[in-house]
Amino acid sequence: MEERMNSKDVQIHINHVGMTFKDNKGNDMEALKDINLDIKKGEFISLLGPSGCGKTTLLRIIADLLKPTKGSVRIDGMMPREIRMQQKFGIVFQSPVLLDWRTVRKNIELPLEIMHYDAQRLPERSAEMLKLVGLEEFANHYPKQLSGGMQQRVGIARALGIEPELLLMDEPFSALDEFTKEKLHVDMLDIWEKTNKTIIFVTHNIQEAVFLSNRICVLSPHPGRLSAVVDVDLPKKRTLDIRDTLHFSELVAKVRNSFEGGSL
Amino acid sequence: MYTRKKNIFVRMSENVNVQKALGVILPVLLGIVIFVLWQTQVIHKIFHVDVFTLPLPTRIVSIMIDNISDILINTKATVFAAAIGLLIGSVIGYVIAWVADRWKGFGSGGLIIVTAFNAIPIVALAPVMTNWTRDVSPDASVRSMVSKILVVMIVSIASMSINAYRGLTELKPYAMDMMTSYAAKRREVFWKLQFPNSVPYIFTALRVSAPNSVISAIVAEYFAEYIIGVGRQIRENIVLAQYSTAWAYILTACIIGIVFYVVLMIVEAIILKHRK
Repeated sequence: MEERMNSKDVQIHINHVGMTFKDNKGNDMEALKDINLDIKKGEFISLLGPSGCGKTTLLRIIADLLKPTKGSVRIDGMMPREIRMQQKFGIVFQSPVLLDWRTVRKNIELPLEIMHYDAQRLPERSAEMLKLVGLEEFANHYPKQLSGGMQQRVGIARALGIEPELLLMDEPFSALDEFTKEKLHVDMLDIWEKTNKTIIFVTHNIQEAVFLSNRICVLSPHPGRLSAVVDVDLPKKRTLDIRDTLHFSELVAKVRNSFEGGSL
Repeated sequence: MYTRKKNIFVRMSENVNVQKALGVILPVLLGIVIFVLWQTQVIHKIFHVDVFTLPLPTRIVSIMIDNISDILINTKATVFAAAIGLLIGSVIGYVIAWVADRWKGFGSGGLIIVTAFNAIPIVALAPVMTNWTRDVSPDASVRSMVSKILVVMIVSIASMSINAYRGLTELKPYAMDMMTSYAAKRREVFWKLQFPNSVPYIFTALRVSAPNSVISAIVAEYFAEYIIGVGRQIRENIVLAQYSTAWAYILTACIIGIVFYVVLMIVEAIILKHRK
């Protein structure tokens, strides 16, 4: 399965990417097989699939945290490594990875310090990010004083603070309860609208993928491969009640049926 | 709905404030009980010892008050050896941990050797150090101090290097990936992630090595050339059968150990205030 489009719109070009790991018995384990995908600037794209389908592996290859064994990735015509060295990746991991000894504000400033961001403008920048995720009052709190949902929001603020070209999110809400998750879904769409970032979002939750993204890449396991790409033709501005519409249910069904070997 | 009322003792033992208070009251009570049994010579009867070899607490305290200036001079020598040895040993231990993390190949092997060193008893180490430091200085007091510091230092290295290595390597999941994604340099990864992460582990090491440093300094004094220090006074007075004075120095040794530990606890509580 290939997903190609007009080359001038393309920001990320994933070309015949394959990834083979050695398992602990020394056998080859094919995590990804011949992935071809183009992603446009400003898209909210989900990589959706069950565990073992290689969705996180693909995200890590895009982020230059892993080198593919086959094929290549180009972002704005450059190698992922170049983008990483220019500090243009904002990554939100499965856990918030906040440093316990730094206040919320200082956590958001961490990547900016590493980038040698103008020290005088640091407080202004972190305050701006805190406002974006609605945590202004918690600037001087320590991570342990925050709930899981708030911690993950700090993680999002930290990722966006560096003005990334790309926001990569690896199952960022999987550890949160349903109520917090719903709130963050709405926040995420709001942030996407305000910042116009390209977002690549890894998830195993079909509803989450349909609600958030404008395009869903369905990955199937053994070996991890792209089995379908589903366009989500919902309006860009979405509220939670859109999930109660028939069209939403149809999209969920369409995605579910697109997994190879039928429904999951 | 009928709920059975809990008995007053059960309710009290569930109260947090009561639990905190008990943490202080119970040890103090135990101390008082021991003091009373000792002072009334019940302990002497149980263990068949006389008041000459195990002097009464009041007698020990009065000897301490009478000899306070001598005790302070000897305390200073012991505290100096313990503190400096602890400091140098801990710094060396941390550097070993850093090297073990930086060059993984050396890592586990190097740490095993360090741990093996730790198994050498102080009584074996102290005479060797006294012999080694023979030519360090013409002044016997300096020679002895150097050998005592060396003993304390060696004892302090192992616990620091093992704990610091854990502090440098046991990071939150994805923390290293996060730093990689920022294209952070090795120096930045160390100062912004690994070093602060290792601080609680440094205190874990010091909790073991701080009281140990006092014991090592005291044992090293037994074998030192120059007659000074709390440990040396314990030995000298026992040899001279001046048990009351010996016990005054034993009590001094206990106090030094406790003070080291309490100071450490206070510093730890201040520095790690926000991590709990």
